[in-house]
Amino acid sequence: MTELILQALYSGLLQGGSYALIALGLALVFGTMKVINLAHGELVLLAAYIAYSVESGLGLGPMFAIPIALVIVSLTSVGVYLIVSRIKKDREINSLILTYGIGVILTNFILLVWKADIRSTSSSWLQEGIEIGPFFSMRSEVIFFGVSLVLMAALWRWLATSWYGRAVRAVSSNRDAAKLMGIDPGRTELVSFLVAGILAAFAGVALFSYGVIQPAYGGALTVKAFIITVLAGIGSIPGVLIAAVLLGVAEALTVTLASSALQELSGMVLFLLVLFIMPNGLFGAQRRRG
Amino acid sequence: MKRTYTRIAMAALVASAWLSQASADEFLVGAEIPLTGNLARVGAGMQEGIMVAAEVFNKTNGKHKVKIVTVDDESAPAKAIAAVEKLASQGVVAITGGYGSNNISPASDTANKLGLVYITSGGVDDSLVASGRKNFFRINNTAGYEKAMLGMLADVGAKSVSIVYSTKDATTGLAKDVEKALAARGVKVTTHSFDPAITDFKPIINKIKLQDKSEVVAMVGYENDYVGIIRAARVLKPKIKAMVGVWSLATPKMAADFPDLMPNVFGTALLPFPTEFKTADGKAFSDAYKQLYKKEPDYLGQFGYVQSMLLFEAIARAADKGTIKKGGVAEEMRKTDRETLIGRVQFAANGDNQNFVHRMAQHQDKKVVIVWPKEHATGKLAYPAVPW
Repeated sequence: MTELILQALYSGLLQGGSYALIALGLALVFGTMKVINLAHGELVLLAAYIAYSVESGLGLGPMFAIPIALVIVSLTSVGVYLIVSRIKKDREINSLILTYGIGVILTNFILLVWKADIRSTSSSWLQEGIEIGPFFSMRSEVIFFGVSLVLMAALWRWLATSWYGRAVRAVSSNRDAAKLMGIDPGRTELVSFLVAGILAAFAGVALFSYGVIQPAYGGALTVKAFIITVLAGIGSIPGVLIAAVLLGVAEALTVTLASSALQELSGMVLFLLVLFIMPNGLFGAQRRRG
Repeated sequence: MKRTYTRIAMAALVASAWLSQASADEFLVGAEIPLTGNLARVGAGMQEGIMVAAEVFNKTNGKHKVKIVTVDDESAPAKAIAAVEKLASQGVVAITGGYGSNNISPASDTANKLGLVYITSGGVDDSLVASGRKNFFRINNTAGYEKAMLGMLADVGAKSVSIVYSTKDATTGLAKDVEKALAARGVKVTTHSFDPAITDFKPIINKIKLQDKSEVVAMVGYENDYVGIIRAARVLKPKIKAMVGVWSLATPKMAADFPDLMPNVFGTALLPFPTEFKTADGKAFSDAYKQLYKKEPDYLGQFGYVQSMLLFEAIARAADKGTIKKGGVAEEMRKTDRETLIGRVQFAANGDNQNFVHRMAQHQDKKVVIVWPKEHATGKLAYPAVPW
């Protein structure tokens, strides 16, 4: 039993890392603009399909797709911002409908270009099983868990030390006050979407490297990212990692100790439980101020 | 001048009479298919078979023609109902298609209420034929898949089996039936149901490795599930003797897309790959498929073709008898008894194909080899044999 639980914890940890990578971009945009970008999962998926094209078309490993994915997905993300920024009234609600629509368009674009077939990497190097003590995992899972940690640290440092990072935090905290301080909220939001696009590009390449993709998968990714963002508490980047790992571990333990059919349910129960006890999430604004 | 006008008028009359005859013989047939959403891949495969059937029928039947009108049900039950209603409003005489028992059920209910025949190969849940729909027909069923899986497991003498299955209706139904049948034979069975949304199968495989310690892992799911399960098994390497699955697994597509994951994996398949069609019907299907889609036919196309061809033939017979609008299509469907690409098809009173039995195939050297039953085998079964 101990062996089972240890492996479940390890699998949950790695799964959490990948969830965090997917959720980071959504959390950043949510924190800055209070906009839930429902097309975020499709941006991740777009990057994954770019990785597939690079692998199948050029015969290169998925990681070589990162530069191309960065350009295309970031520009698409900026495009999403330019459309969302046109909303003049009730941005929170209207952006939901608008980004949902953009998500549907992106899904169908992916379907048209790459067809409905399921895709996954054929790189045996990335899929190879590696053993670390009593723990088993795929090489790609470990690599992208590391990538996830590095990106999170980079994002945290960018938010803490760079001018634009601080501007993002200022706009996130109080848009009007930030404006009075000479910060251009529009440009700051644009930067947020650009960074979210960069994060989505990494997340998509990672997803293709250890998972299976299909055009309809974007919605499920957005839901997972949204759960983690809310669980973490709006605006908390380290919280995203902790919430994601918590979710991954809860799911893996549910499979091990109860039933695999309850895995998704356990995530939702955790989500509701945390919100019931801490309405602002694990690391929400109110708690941090306290 | 007067004679010229008369000739033109006569020619116009003859042309219009010919045209009206032609349009009277062209029947609109609805295809309600998931072309987007999570079933888009299988829906697109079935649609290919439907279009090939229309192509072959229109070329060979002579007197009657069919025209396919397709509506995408977006893999959603509510949209499937709307699709059937839309097709009915466009004047279709029957419906072919449907994928996923949960979509087919409401869609065929609607077709039934509208008096339209509905034929499918995309739903194996037995409730579909147990609900008393008079106009519902299907060419494959759980029992056929179950017989193949159980037959192969009996031949290799498996003593313990772990069944990993998706919680969807059709997969749950098949898994439960297989579990019951295996247990009745004295085989030790453990089941692991999983939510269709999950992506990491390592915790399940780890339970099989450390707790179940079964000889065989039986997978009842879809393509994305198989990839996840086999990948997790390759990482954790449980001491099993075989990995066995059902639909969408022993296909040329899986062999081509996942060459590293598929070796030695078993799955249901009626045809080997490379495909050999020996009958005239098979050759007509294969040639038309390759011409239309520039690729090798797969099982989805094959099932879509058979269900649609049977429907078109029933429509033609009903048209000859003048009973199209008097329930003639359903009546002719019930009289169907013919050899097809998937074997002999005869519909029982509940609309189910009573003769359906699947075969088991194994991925061997990038080929798909039929290994069960022995009389249809195209190669030798490799056991024990796993994908790593």
